[in-house]
This record gives sequence, C-alpha cells and structure tokens, in this order.
Amino acid sequence: MPNNSLSELVSKISRKKQEFAHPIEEQFALILDYYGITWLYEPTTFTLQEDTDGNILEAFTPDFYLPDQDLYVELTTLRPQLNNIKNRKIRKLKTLYPDVNIKLFKRRDLHDLMVKYGLDYEAGYLKGSKAQKNEQ
Amino acid sequence: MAIITISRQLGSLGDEVALALQRKLNYRIVNREIINQAAQRARKPEIALATIDDLGLFGLQPDIKSRLAYNQAVSDIMEEITRRGNTIIIGRAGQIILRGRAGVFHAMVIAPAWLRAERISKALGISLDSALAQIKASDQSRRKYLKRNYGVAWDDPELYDLILNTERFNPEQAASLICHALEQIEMSVS
Repeated sequence: MPNNSLSELVSKISRKKQEFAHPIEEQFALILDYYGITWLYEPTTFTLQEDTDGNILEAFTPDFYLPDQDLYVELTTLRPQLNNIKNRKIRKLKTLYPDVNIKLFKRRDLHDLMVKYGLDYEAGYLKGSKAQKNEQ
Repeated sequence: MAIITISRQLGSLGDEVALALQRKLNYRIVNREIINQAAQRARKPEIALATIDDLGLFGLQPDIKSRLAYNQAVSDIMEEITRRGNTIIIGRAGQIILRGRAGVFHAMVIAPAWLRAERISKALGISLDSALAQIKASDQSRRKYLKRNYGVAWDDPELYDLILNTERFNPEQAASLICHALEQIEMSVS
C-alpha cells in the first residue's frame, strides 16, 4: 500500500495468478502484492553440488526473488528437521554464491492478522495439518 | 523550490496528491527507490521489506547496526536527490532529514480516520473494521519509525510547511494549494 495509489494497488492484487507449491507461498505472494513489491516465483535454481561429469547432485531453488530488492526469499516451516535442511542449503548457497542475497523467513501464524486486516484470502490454509503435510 | 517532501497517512490520498503535483510541476517522484537503494547500500536488502511492512506481516526486526547503516544510506541518497533538484520525495522521513534546508518544502497530507477507512475499504473491497485496523497499524508503524530513528513525533505540525486535509480537497486541488504555497514562499523570498 505505501507505494501505490489505491487503483494501482487493486490492479496489482487482482492481476497475478500463479500456481504455488504450498499455500504459505501463496499467502506470502499476497502480502507482497499488498505492499506493491514485485516478485518472481522460483525463477532460479542454484547448483550446489555436481559430480565429475557435471551432473547436478544437489540444487536449491529459493521460493521467491524480489528484483527491486535484489533478494531471494525462502519460506520455512515450524518443523526443526526441515529447517535444518534448508539452513544447510542456504549456508552452502552463500558459500558458493557470495553475491546472492537470500533471506529465510520462518513461518508464523499470520491467520489472525490477515483476517484482522481483511487480507484473509486463502488464509485458512495456514492452520491445520494440511499445510504441515504439504511441506514435506 | 526544488524539492517537495510529502508525508502522508494511509488512505489520505497522499500518493495521488504527489502524482497531481508531478503533473503540474513536471518533477520526478521518488519513494520506494530510496528504500531499496538504501537497503542495498547498507548490504541488508531485507531491511527494505521491514521498512515497507507497515502492518508487521513479515515479522522482520533488523538489528540496530543494520538500522543505523540503512538510515545513513537514506540520508546520503536524499542529499544526492536534493542536489539534483526538482523532485517530490514521498515519505522516508524527508521532512526530518531535509528539515530547515533552503529550497525544500515540506507538506503533509492527512484525512479523518473514518474517511481514510472508507477509501481503503472501497479500494480493497474489505470491511470498514479491517480498513480501520490497517489505518491504526500503519499510523502506529510510521509514528514508531520516526520516533525510534529520529526522535520526533510524526504528527508534530512544526515539521511541515503545509498540512492538507483531503476531506474537502481532491488531489488536484490539494496539489494546486501546494503550488500556490510554493509561489508565495518564492515571492516572499524574492
């Protein structure tokens, strides 16, 4: 909102249609749209490890890239085991690609806030076990 | 007058006033670019998100070192903009960073909370209660930002040359009033 006239805001929120791997990604995109932040969904895959023939053994695709901020965003979950895996990949990425900016966002329960501010489009996805299951 | 800073409340039509002003004066507008550039100069791109996040949805809390580096970068960028001239700066504490500077005019755009809520509610298709919640959070965030980073009260009238209430003026009329004020100041100076 802060960077947009009201009409621009409405058009930005309504124009983006994107398939997401996980509901929390969709919610994050909605928040970015609300603030008028340009985003790309999973635009880049970084190779983290190759074998001697150049075959990719390990790669990492951050969830979002925010071009105006030059920032990759990875959303994470409440599960420590999954967080550990993502943290390890991010550490590796930072070592191999030191110029790449990436931020790990820990999932918070935003449902109540989203409802409070009238941004509860699909916010119900945040609660319950379905979201956790989809994260695996 | 080469630089105009515009502070505004959420739903006050401050951005629309800036656009109307741009059409009248053919100045360029800067807003979000300052945030993004400053965050990158401070090597903390995520602080741009924290700054934009009026409603506190990202949950980012930059440390003091990052904030100081960012604030310094904002000041540097604003100085560069001022040297280039003919610019409308929206937000970003321009009224404080450039306070007392010759050739800089500070305007604030406000409106009653009920009207701002109506505008937000209509624009986003949300309830009045939700719109009011957004307004309350946004006001609190902006007030806190200025207090924490610059030690001033956002709504202190002494920070501004002109405060415009858009309850009765549309953006075009508000922009005309700012232009008129600029002319008056330039006349009194000359």
